[in-house]
Amino acid sequence: MSKWRPSPEIAKLHADHQESRAALGAERALHYTDYWKRESGNGKSACMLNAGALADHLERRTIRIYSGEVIVGTHTEHRIGAICHIEKAGSAMLEDLFRFEKRDVNQLRVEPSAKWALLRSAVPYWLNRSLAMQAFPLRERVKYAKDQLGAVDYVINEVGGVAHFLPDHGQLITLGTDGLRAEVEARLLDPELDDNQRDYLRASLVSIEAVERFADRYRDEAMRMGRHDLVEVFNQVPRQPPRNLREALQLIWIFQMLIQIESLDQGVSLGRIDQYLHPLYLEEAKIADFDPDEVRNLFAAFCLKLSEVVPLFSERVTNYFAGLPSGQAASIGGVDASGDDASNELTFLLLDVIEGFKTRQPNWHARISEKSNDDYVKRVVEVVSGGGGSPALYNDDVIMPAMSDRGVESSKVWNYATVGCVEPALSGESFTSSDAAIFNLALSLELVFGDGQKMKPGQSTERPWLHDIESTTQLIERIETITRSRIAGLKHSLDAVERSGAINFPTPLSSLTIGGCIENATDSTQGGARYNASGIQAVGVADLANSLAVIEKLVFHDKHCSLEEMANACATDFEGQDLLRARARRVEGFGNDDPLADQLAEQVVTMFDRCISRHTNTRGGRWMPGYYSMTCHQGFGKKMAAMPSGRRAGRPLADGLAPVDGSDILGPTASLNSVAKLDHQRFGNGINVNIKFDSATVKGDTGRAALRALILGYFAQGGMQVQINVLDPEVLEEAMLDPESHRNLLVRVSGYCAYFVDLTPGMQQELIDRTRQRA
Amino acid sequence: MPISAPVFDVQRFSLHDGPGIRSLIFLKGCGLHCAWCQNPESQSTRPVIAFYGDRCLESFECATVCPNDAILRDDYRIDQHKCNRCGLCVEACANGALRLIGEDLTPEELMERLMADFPYYESSGGGITFTGGEPTLHPRFVKRVLELCGESGIHTNLETAGKFEWTTWEPILGLLDLIYFDLKILDEAGHRQNIGPGFTEIVDNARRLVAGGFPVEFRMPLVPGLTDTPQNIDAVISFLHDIDRPSIHLLEYHNMGEAKIDVIQGCQPKLGLDRYSDDRLDVVRREFLDRGIEVPDPS
Repeated sequence: MSKWRPSPEIAKLHADHQESRAALGAERALHYTDYWKRESGNGKSACMLNAGALADHLERRTIRIYSGEVIVGTHTEHRIGAICHIEKAGSAMLEDLFRFEKRDVNQLRVEPSAKWALLRSAVPYWLNRSLAMQAFPLRERVKYAKDQLGAVDYVINEVGGVAHFLPDHGQLITLGTDGLRAEVEARLLDPELDDNQRDYLRASLVSIEAVERFADRYRDEAMRMGRHDLVEVFNQVPRQPPRNLREALQLIWIFQMLIQIESLDQGVSLGRIDQYLHPLYLEEAKIADFDPDEVRNLFAAFCLKLSEVVPLFSERVTNYFAGLPSGQAASIGGVDASGDDASNELTFLLLDVIEGFKTRQPNWHARISEKSNDDYVKRVVEVVSGGGGSPALYNDDVIMPAMSDRGVESSKVWNYATVGCVEPALSGESFTSSDAAIFNLALSLELVFGDGQKMKPGQSTERPWLHDIESTTQLIERIETITRSRIAGLKHSLDAVERSGAINFPTPLSSLTIGGCIENATDSTQGGARYNASGIQAVGVADLANSLAVIEKLVFHDKHCSLEEMANACATDFEGQDLLRARARRVEGFGNDDPLADQLAEQVVTMFDRCISRHTNTRGGRWMPGYYSMTCHQGFGKKMAAMPSGRRAGRPLADGLAPVDGSDILGPTASLNSVAKLDHQRFGNGINVNIKFDSATVKGDTGRAALRALILGYFAQGGMQVQINVLDPEVLEEAMLDPESHRNLLVRVSGYCAYFVDLTPGMQQELIDRTRQRA
Repeated sequence: MPISAPVFDVQRFSLHDGPGIRSLIFLKGCGLHCAWCQNPESQSTRPVIAFYGDRCLESFECATVCPNDAILRDDYRIDQHKCNRCGLCVEACANGALRLIGEDLTPEELMERLMADFPYYESSGGGITFTGGEPTLHPRFVKRVLELCGESGIHTNLETAGKFEWTTWEPILGLLDLIYFDLKILDEAGHRQNIGPGFTEIVDNARRLVAGGFPVEFRMPLVPGLTDTPQNIDAVISFLHDIDRPSIHLLEYHNMGEAKIDVIQGCQPKLGLDRYSDDRLDVVRREFLDRGIEVPDPS
């Protein structure tokens, strides 16, 4: 355990943070509405319109510097803010406008004046102009809206914008905005450019100026307040390359903040922060009175800034994405260009911060490879075993080949980082839209049972369409047919959403930070990035595998009941079928090293891969399958009938790629073995596997050594990712009863960390119920 | 005849029975009958059908498949006199209320299960631990498994109460990386009363192991009023000094074994003791330390 504790100044900042209540940031919505009303009919291109709206908003935005802040700037007019991207999904989230303050979880303060202004001006204006509404012809709009409200089929996240990429912060700190401008201006000299390209580049120049003027406003405010330290920082950045870590972090935060204002506050990720900041760290370490604690405190302050971003989700959406995620992932460790261990002194300082200063953001990820040095791995495990769920662990030796397999040049994969929750992407030059959609794969079985329809609850009926299914293989074929047709529906909607985003709401500022956009003179939403992709996540793999194992055993092998009887038992939620349900639950499921269940899980993931990987997106990038669920496993599960696995109607599906809670009864080695047996080469968009330990198991040198060995044993077998929660169920139960005293209890949910008290009660209970792995 | 032994459980990811991540192999059968036995279901070498009443849905499908009419409708469910342990009722039971304890496995079958965690033995420096019951009742089986482990370089440990025939076991013990030897009651009368036969053999074996340079470590179960009496602690301390091995692992008694007596209709009387208290453990530990006996921290 590191001896470092945050300085009193940082502790005070943290306390101020915990006391500030999150508020709805309405100014962006109101300013954008004004701007659009004024300018949209004036023949401006979409790029110019969006760049202009951002510039106008940044000119008018209320700004404040809070007492004691080291890094300044907020992405809304509030300290902890939920921004409303009114032209994208923001208008839909305002369904809660009158309930934000009263709802049970994730309450948001809304200023009365903002409430009425939104209602009078912004909401009606965007009713038919928002991204989703412009995506579909009139007759499809109603169906789309109905499907997405309380989704059971899939959730299209791109309707809120794309974001989910790795801005090239490494390049930004070497160029500053002056350097960026020079690049754009040089590019504009090319006589071959067409009008669209030139227009895009001009819009980028507008965006660069907007960034600079926004920073200038903070410099002026600092001057007015007599904060000369800040004035000095802003005299250097963003225009010129930072001279030290503080200036670098201020510059990075400016871009993090503005990209999230422009595009979407989801998945804008920091990349390999211990790598690209290492040279500046080395410079700083040369100074005579260098104090590493100052570096730690600086990063702690930075983490607080990242944590100010909370999403604007209505209660309905919160069921799918609980815990206020914003997915600003930060990667540490890994390998360098020559394949050697890349951990450095800064990596270790950051681990001290992760251990000693637990904040909601960033989403910390540690890359581990066979080449990693032992001290690094030991320290990572020590930090993990201290609780808080950070960092999550990623296996380079599996991820890098999986990325090459999906078309990333092998010579570049060493420089991957993670985006959002768990998604690997190439730093600085990819626009992966890794969280494009989350798909309920388990539903396909219910649709087979219901002949293409969801089963009517409580209704036992004849199902002649099941009579000619004579083996599990045939059943899987039916599931695949239905999945393909559902994916075709998803593809139709997602393409329409992507086109609408590209046509109406390009993101010239964000695009400046993605390699390829300037050279192609094309916005990232329109395919400007060097690498493009879309990530589609499957939810319910373990539930489907377990159900197939039950059907294989009870229906086709033991002939205990017919498939029709099994379907009816599911439709009636096993009412009067306790014996059948008990029998089903006794069949060994995925997560027990059981050859049948594990092989069925493999069939499920390869089937999903076949359905997904044949498609490309509108930017020319491939679709990639991923297996993480945010909290959609709860949202989807709520609306589903019972399953042959014995899962009851309405209960959550399994989380990410982990076994069904409580079904992995042989302990963590068996559980991880089952996961590792799956062919991870296919998981180009990442997976999440949660395991939990009570703190007694992993305490002390012995416990930590065992945890390290468990992780390394799993990785050696080809496991891709694992995130470890170390907690006492008793503490969680206390926190449920007394949230006020447990405001800082951080837990890892499904690819990200959240304060326990910010979760829905259902999700809180799930965390308590989840398999407690104990030796 | 192929070698086999009745295995009643393989417990994976154990961190407390030797170094690293280990799999515990519980072998059935024991020649002793300690009053505080924590695994009463392991005492007989024969398989037994255990009944977990709280899981029973009372469908009595077990009765429809039992060829020997051995299903009772009372609290116990199995008439152990009629039961021939065919296991059909276990198959038929929907909710896992009936369980066959003791599955005959060959060394090769056991190895296949153990190898599933090989990557974790490797990454942790762990391995396997024989426990029971009394694993030394199965010399041929244990020997074969140890040979197979040796081929894969897996660390091996064996937990014993010490009653075994030295000439049979001397060559097998040489295959082990670690031996946990329990010292329980070092007074012949007390031993006979609470543990049963074999006092002299156990003491002799302990001496032989040390003298022969085997990798043995001694352990002592602390059972209130039975093994932790001042006289017995004194006897253990003197013995350890006598054999020049001043180190002992202390194991605290827990009463979880008592619940298992009912499920197998065992006849062992219950002691009704609480689990060993931390305070009491501290007192005993200090006693050992004060008299020059090292007490390693529980792993």
